[in-house]
Amino acid sequence: MNSSAGSPSVASPSVVPPSRDSEDRLLLRQLYRGLQIGLRGRITLAVALVALLLSVVLSVTTVTVAKTTLLNAREDGLSNQAIANAETIRGGLGSTIETADLQTLLSSLPGTGAPSIVIGTTGVGGNEPTTVSVDARYGIDMLPPDLIRKVADDREGSIMRFRAGGESLLAVGIAVPDSDLSYFQVNQLDDIDTAIRSLSLTLVVAAAAATLIAMGLGFWASKYALQPLTRIGDAAEAVALGQLDTRIDYDDYAADPDLAPLVANFNDMVSALQERIDRDARFASDVSHELRSPLTTLNASIEVLANNRDTMPERSQKALDLLTLDMQRFTQLVEDLLEISRFDAGAVRLELDAVTLVPTIEAAVRMVSKSTVPVESDPALESVVIACDKRRLMRILANYLDNASKYADGATGVFVDLHEPDGVDIMLSGSTVRIGVEDNGPGVPETERTKIFDRFNRGDQGGSRGIDMGVGLGLALAAEHARLQGGRVWVEDRHDGGQGARFVLELPMIEPLEADDPEDLASVTAEEAEEFALTGQLPAIRIDSGTERPS
Amino acid sequence: MGETVAVGTRILYVEDDHRIRGAVKLALEDEGWQVDESETGEEAIASFGRAPTDVVLIDIMLPGMDGFEVCRSIRRHSDVPIIMVTARADTHDVVAGLEAGADDYMTKPLQPKELSARIRAMLRRARPSQPGNPRLQFGELEIVPQEGVVSRNGVQIHLTKTEFRLLVELANSPGKVFSREDLLEKVWGHGVFGDGRLVDVHVRRLRTKVEADPANPRHVVTVRGLGYKLQP
Repeated sequence: MNSSAGSPSVASPSVVPPSRDSEDRLLLRQLYRGLQIGLRGRITLAVALVALLLSVVLSVTTVTVAKTTLLNAREDGLSNQAIANAETIRGGLGSTIETADLQTLLSSLPGTGAPSIVIGTTGVGGNEPTTVSVDARYGIDMLPPDLIRKVADDREGSIMRFRAGGESLLAVGIAVPDSDLSYFQVNQLDDIDTAIRSLSLTLVVAAAAATLIAMGLGFWASKYALQPLTRIGDAAEAVALGQLDTRIDYDDYAADPDLAPLVANFNDMVSALQERIDRDARFASDVSHELRSPLTTLNASIEVLANNRDTMPERSQKALDLLTLDMQRFTQLVEDLLEISRFDAGAVRLELDAVTLVPTIEAAVRMVSKSTVPVESDPALESVVIACDKRRLMRILANYLDNASKYADGATGVFVDLHEPDGVDIMLSGSTVRIGVEDNGPGVPETERTKIFDRFNRGDQGGSRGIDMGVGLGLALAAEHARLQGGRVWVEDRHDGGQGARFVLELPMIEPLEADDPEDLASVTAEEAEEFALTGQLPAIRIDSGTERPS
Repeated sequence: MGETVAVGTRILYVEDDHRIRGAVKLALEDEGWQVDESETGEEAIASFGRAPTDVVLIDIMLPGMDGFEVCRSIRRHSDVPIIMVTARADTHDVVAGLEAGADDYMTKPLQPKELSARIRAMLRRARPSQPGNPRLQFGELEIVPQEGVVSRNGVQIHLTKTEFRLLVELANSPGKVFSREDLLEKVWGHGVFGDGRLVDVHVRRLRTKVEADPANPRHVVTVRGLGYKLQP
């Protein structure tokens, strides 16, 4: 429900009888809304994604560079050592090569602790290569065949990384100069692997932290970035609720070339709106005065004529009767038009009274209906007092009863029932009272039931426009009167299944204000009334000091 | 409607629109009243001083001196029943008219028959005839309904007839809570749908006259959410 007090279509929300359908639709809409990400969410998400991407690229680069650097350093060290060792072997070798000698020689080489050394020989005294190893764990058979071939056969120095026995290893092979010997030195790389792994882990954690921090920053920054938008949104909402003097302080944004025009335009728009509404309200008030003055003359003159009706010729009497009837219609039309223009201009005031419901309804029915219409009320409502606008309640009832006598042979009964919330109904969530006016006329067909609450719609039977037919504003006004009090109106079938219609007014059961002074009940502004209509919540008591005028 | 109007009951009707004035005068004369016309506020005040007047009917929108001003001016030296006529039923005009001292108000278009009924009710209550207690005492307040006299600490207080009727109505059942509807019915003769503001403004006016401290009334007190009562 929007809160434009007067657009012509506002009757619709208040004339819809309770239905399951609307609830389902609302739930769907809420679900759909829940799945959508707002502007702020999108900004936050984008910032977080960029941070994540940057962190990942940075981490991968860091790990790669670190690994390469460590491995290169290790390879260089190992190669240099291996070359030096190969030189030592060459120098230490005599003319004959004995396996035992080699073993001794190898053991004396520097840097042969944990990284073990293997010497493979090919063609030493035969076809079978002899191998000597300082560490029993590492033999020639665990070296990659490619490496052996390259060194032993091609006599080239070579370096290779490989995995064996669940270990990550680095091997350097040197062809010992001036001999058939090949020298291999092996080094474990597990320490480098461990270092890289712990570095990776640290970087993953850092990336995650950076992403989270970016998310927070994005959320925080977007709040500031969107603050003007939020402010404009709040202001627009206030305007929609009727606070037309709402403005955004231009000075706050004057320095911002992006926001200044937006704020200025917004303020201009609200000013134009306020001016327009003020003008409409003034117009309604002026029209009120202009129309009521001649109506007073006309009414009084007709009354003078009616006082002398008996002395008139028959034709004049007939003319006078026509005049009298249409004068009544015209007066009612003017009143209704003024009333509806007040709604349109947003110049409505809700006058909340503590109303003893049942006696008031009985009095209203007595006052309006010419014949006696029985009022049946729920005993639980016997002495219930609610806060409502008595005049508007009266106008709605009068309209219902009036319609019943125009379109049927008068109302057959008025029913006042207590209605407890059934959980299905989303519009009115508290206890309500339903006032139904039944007639035994032709009833209202399903297709017409919403339409008859539109302005100047007479229903399908509108063909017979007798002279005392109403003008079609009454039900539209009834809908507005009800909506303003947080209630609604609709038409349904008679509850006893008989031919005819039942027009219903539903009002929320609102405890009257505990006002210090009964007159405080009446001081409710249009905005408060609108809030009341939307939320069913009574506005706080506002003591209007303006009424304390010296007498 | 009972057509027993005291012969020669004079109504002073202040209205600047001569067509309205003419038509309403005709209709009121048909109801048996004698109507004196005034076109402006100044003229009305001059004419009020000249001829005896039983009821004053004032249109709020007058050129020059407006209806509120005329009302205040008459109220300064007379408690004659005054009915304000307004083209607007909004709170401001109505409350301002009542604050200015009017006893009742009607909105245009006037229905002369209804206006006559109001005048009749007003004249009826302007002459209290109900045989109540001859003398009512509420602390320092003393009310003598038959004589239309109220005094506080022996000093006579000047009340308009409506204010007096309101006070006597409350005083006849001390401690009983009267709702605004009750008082509208009993004092003004309006039904359930009368305007409660009539009661509120008159209670306020009454307090300024009979209470020692009108902001903290001791006698004419408000009963939260229900109405008003008079207590000793």
